[in-house]
Amino acid sequence: MKTIIEMKGIEKRFPGVHALKSARFDLRAGEVHALMGENGAGKSTLMKILAGIYRPDAGEIIMEGEPLELTDPRSAQTAGIGIIHQELSLMNDLTAAQNIFIGREPRKSFGRLDERLLNQQAADIFKTMRLKLDPQVTVGSLTIAKQQMVEIAKALSYQFRVLIMDEPTAALNDAEIADLFSIIRDLKAQGVGVVYISHKMDELKRIADRVTIMRDGEYVDTVPAADTPISTIITKMVGREVKDEALQVPDTSNNPIALEVKGLRRGREIKDVSFALRQGEILGFAGLMGAGRTEVARAIFGADPLDAGEILVHGKSVSIRSPHDAVGAGIGYLSEDRKHFGLALPMDVRNNIALASLKSFIRFPGRLDENAMKKTAEGYIQRLGIRTPSDTQEVKLLSGGNQQKVVIAKWLLRNCDILIFDEPTRGIDVGAKSEIYQLLVELAKSGKAIIVISSELPEVMRLSHRIAVMCEGRLTGILPGGATTRQEDIMHLATLRESMVIETETEMQRRVG
Amino acid sequence: MFTRRTFLGAVSATAVVAATGVAKAADKIYIPLISKGFQHQFWQAVKAGADKAAKEFDIQVTFEGPDTEAQVDKQIDMLSAALAKHPAAIGFAALDSKAAIPLLKKAQAEKIPVIAFDSGVDSDIPVTTCSTDNVAAAALAADKMAALIGNEGKVALVVHDQTSRTGIDRRDGFVKQIKAKYPKIEIVDIQYGAGDQLQSTEITKSIITAHPDIKGFFGANEGSAIGVVNGVKESKKSNVVIIGYDSGKAQKQAIMDGVMAGAITQNPVGIGYETVKAALAAVKGQPVEKHIDTGFYWYDKSNIADPKIAAVLYD
Amino acid sequence: MTNTDIAAPMAATTAKSRFSGAQQKLLAFGTLIILVIGFSLASPNFMQTSNILAILQATSVNGILAVAATLVIITGGIDLSVGTLMTFTAVIAGVVLTYWGFPLPIGIIASLLTGALVGLTSGAIIAKMKIPPFIATLGMMLILKGLSLVISGTKPIYFNDTPSFPLISTESFIGDLIPGVPVPNGVLVLFIVAGLASYILGRTVLGRYCFALGSNEEAARLSGVSVDNWKMAVYSLSGGICGIAGLVIASRLNSAQPALGQGYELDAIAAVVIGGTSLAGGRGTILGTVIGALIMSVLLNGLRILSMPQEWQTVVTGSIIIIAVYADMMRKRKA
Repeated sequence: MKTIIEMKGIEKRFPGVHALKSARFDLRAGEVHALMGENGAGKSTLMKILAGIYRPDAGEIIMEGEPLELTDPRSAQTAGIGIIHQELSLMNDLTAAQNIFIGREPRKSFGRLDERLLNQQAADIFKTMRLKLDPQVTVGSLTIAKQQMVEIAKALSYQFRVLIMDEPTAALNDAEIADLFSIIRDLKAQGVGVVYISHKMDELKRIADRVTIMRDGEYVDTVPAADTPISTIITKMVGREVKDEALQVPDTSNNPIALEVKGLRRGREIKDVSFALRQGEILGFAGLMGAGRTEVARAIFGADPLDAGEILVHGKSVSIRSPHDAVGAGIGYLSEDRKHFGLALPMDVRNNIALASLKSFIRFPGRLDENAMKKTAEGYIQRLGIRTPSDTQEVKLLSGGNQQKVVIAKWLLRNCDILIFDEPTRGIDVGAKSEIYQLLVELAKSGKAIIVISSELPEVMRLSHRIAVMCEGRLTGILPGGATTRQEDIMHLATLRESMVIETETEMQRRVG
Repeated sequence: MFTRRTFLGAVSATAVVAATGVAKAADKIYIPLISKGFQHQFWQAVKAGADKAAKEFDIQVTFEGPDTEAQVDKQIDMLSAALAKHPAAIGFAALDSKAAIPLLKKAQAEKIPVIAFDSGVDSDIPVTTCSTDNVAAAALAADKMAALIGNEGKVALVVHDQTSRTGIDRRDGFVKQIKAKYPKIEIVDIQYGAGDQLQSTEITKSIITAHPDIKGFFGANEGSAIGVVNGVKESKKSNVVIIGYDSGKAQKQAIMDGVMAGAITQNPVGIGYETVKAALAAVKGQPVEKHIDTGFYWYDKSNIADPKIAAVLYD
Repeated sequence: MTNTDIAAPMAATTAKSRFSGAQQKLLAFGTLIILVIGFSLASPNFMQTSNILAILQATSVNGILAVAATLVIITGGIDLSVGTLMTFTAVIAGVVLTYWGFPLPIGIIASLLTGALVGLTSGAIIAKMKIPPFIATLGMMLILKGLSLVISGTKPIYFNDTPSFPLISTESFIGDLIPGVPVPNGVLVLFIVAGLASYILGRTVLGRYCFALGSNEEAARLSGVSVDNWKMAVYSLSGGICGIAGLVIASRLNSAQPALGQGYELDAIAAVVIGGTSLAGGRGTILGTVIGALIMSVLLNGLRILSMPQEWQTVVTGSIIIIAVYADMMRKRKA
């Protein structure tokens, strides 16, 4: 196979950070080349340079033997290089077709748009993707997964020869991932080179031909995907061995119940959900996208109103109408979208930790006791192992894992003894993941009651003392944690649709029981 | 559906409340007054005079004016809504006479008598004009200023605006009188503060900074005059002669306290009263004079309690 | 149920525009109809041809300004200078026609060009200097207010030497064709401007990028859209429309009033939001805006006809703005 792209000696500095140190990368026609590395390793920066979004300080990019000058996204597009961004970059108020062809709309004279041709072309692309989607539907009304497919359709429409995919499966369910992979195989067959960035190790084996590993802005190694063990790849990424301890399920059956919900209902999203959570226990929530797990968490936390149901904290019925009530009852919620809901990104670590407990730092006559806040923050930085130069570092400059620890510190300081983690390791790299896992286990040991919602089954299985599975708003079963529960058992419950309930009821009881 | 119904409810309720309010007075003679302003105490005093006349003659009077004296088009919209009600007569204080001519012609065609008030209307359509002679009044202010500063020194003017009739007349009346009769008095600055107290305060302070030896200020309307008083106070300046215009609680207080030497007062209550009275006469076909001078007075600490003066001052 | 029955035929006529949500306009339109019916029942003086024409006349300037503001607001920006820009272009027309004595077409071109140039300047300040629109146009508002006074010599400029000038706003072409319906030309101008703007928004690349910018500017940039240039184009277009408003108001008053204009931007923005356009950008329609402007002038005129005291007129208008926008939000939350 011939090489399409070669990047050599790429240097990039941002204020205070040496992001890329003589990085290199090459891509062949018709291959899927995975780019691996922890967050901050420089993969996204390197790919943004290839997509023309950043300009390198030094180094060269060679495309089919010719040096290539990329000044902006448009020049990369002209060269046949496209990128699908990690964060969705769609225009919610525009239709799918309008999004796909933004900047390249079929035009008639005087800048008039040819709307019919636009929709026709979009429909053609959807057909090649085997995607059932109306080109005229407003993107904002689509699910995240469908939006992701629109993003992919947009990239396909350019007929790029090089396509960069930055975590394209983050929002997709298994069926959609399978669809995406068959699209990628079609692209391979057409000779397109695909750069694939993902944190999901199992996907590499399924789709990648070669894997390039980066660490701290430097090139580490390139290995064939098929016959390299995942542990080897991880070791190269982290630069040290990562121990993956087996789950120990403690006996929590005699602990007092911390949280109990009865008959939770909210429209079509939550249908009669009841469960109990004991102190020191980690309860995992598994299910497909849209199964209602996040909705349950938000309802318990008072972020969305309930139609019916009762919430008991430490055996006492509480009325939770707003997050304020929930926090008062000792419930902390760590949203999957830390950037939007969990953190004040431009503020420093100290203030973010103190944010939910500012009242306790107020001194006469309304002054905030910065010293006490500093001491508290430094205490948590040490206790949770938050890697930050100081407590006055802006949170947005921390890595994903350390940001997550800051959020945890915030809720611990607020004395929350029931913690709900929604996708606790989304966007966090492998090394930091196991630290977060370790932290959750320790929190449970110290008596906190913990709910973990995760779309990654291995994560749920690794952490949970018990596993609650949801499907289409219903709690379809609670399985015991540990080695006895197999992935297939969870998938069975996760796909147990309401219409199927009656015929499989007996079977389910047997499994749950 | 809930919100929409509530919304409609609110709208119709408003309409009903308003409608019942009007229905009561429906068969009385109706005379709307379209003024140049509404919020200032001066205009509220004109309104009070008009209301007084309405009560006395048992007719219905409404009083409206735009938010600022620059909003010529809004005043015209008000005039056209007033005409739509087929009133017996109309009182009108034009912000810009020329812009109003088509509507005034329409009134004339419908035989609705137009009474101009305050600064009047540049046209022969109005039956009469009830107003103050602002040029003469400002000249009187200049004479008083000269006497109080000993016929020499620096003075400055803070005027409400440079485009309105009253602004121009009061400024020119004052300036011409000084130039003609008091050659040793120098007018160092004329600034415009939109009749806004705060803006006028800032203007006054900057003039004092630029001319520390200033001896007198003339504030050409209520807001300007109070602004001058505040500006002089905030600059901690003493021995500055302040002459104001119109009245109002703050200005009266400043005169009583001796901060302000005195002020020119028009007779706003009289303007409102005379306008309605003249309108009613015109409706009944009685003769009215072509110009009704509503008068002006100089007032200071010595005569502020004089019943004749007190009657034309407003709070 | 009644509501859906009425909704069906109306929705059909408005469904063409892809960005609308026919209901949104329906809500505003329904409000307008109810206000008209309510006022007609409350006073026989409301439903007179001359009064309806007066309402339309009163809408023309605010309506045109609101159309200009809509374009900018859809991009996620805001333009606080529309009012004083209108005044500035009127003053320029005055200078060209009255002081320099050029013929009418030159004055019209000068006014439109001035508006577009000032818009381009605002756009450049926002796109190139990266000054937030609120601040950039706030600054521009004050600059233009001052310049209008400076250039005019702080006094109104009259158009007495240009006898055909009132043609733009106060005369009536329609009245010449159909006697008895003398719709002033200013209103005709409003409808033409609104029609053109609506076409540009719905059918052209410029319009498409207005929505794209307001929806997700970064995404548009990453898609290779030259965001800065299009932004400047939108502000120029908006400025040009302000130039039209300047001509209409100058023609109506037969003078350029240099002290006028501040405060008009808020009326325009109010009309835009009543019409259902999102201040966050990405969503909005010209038809909604025109209806919003009509609601405001019908309301004001109706309350005057009912002789409601002026201080209460203001209270009612403010309440209606809040209620209208709240109702719109409720509808969206449900959808």
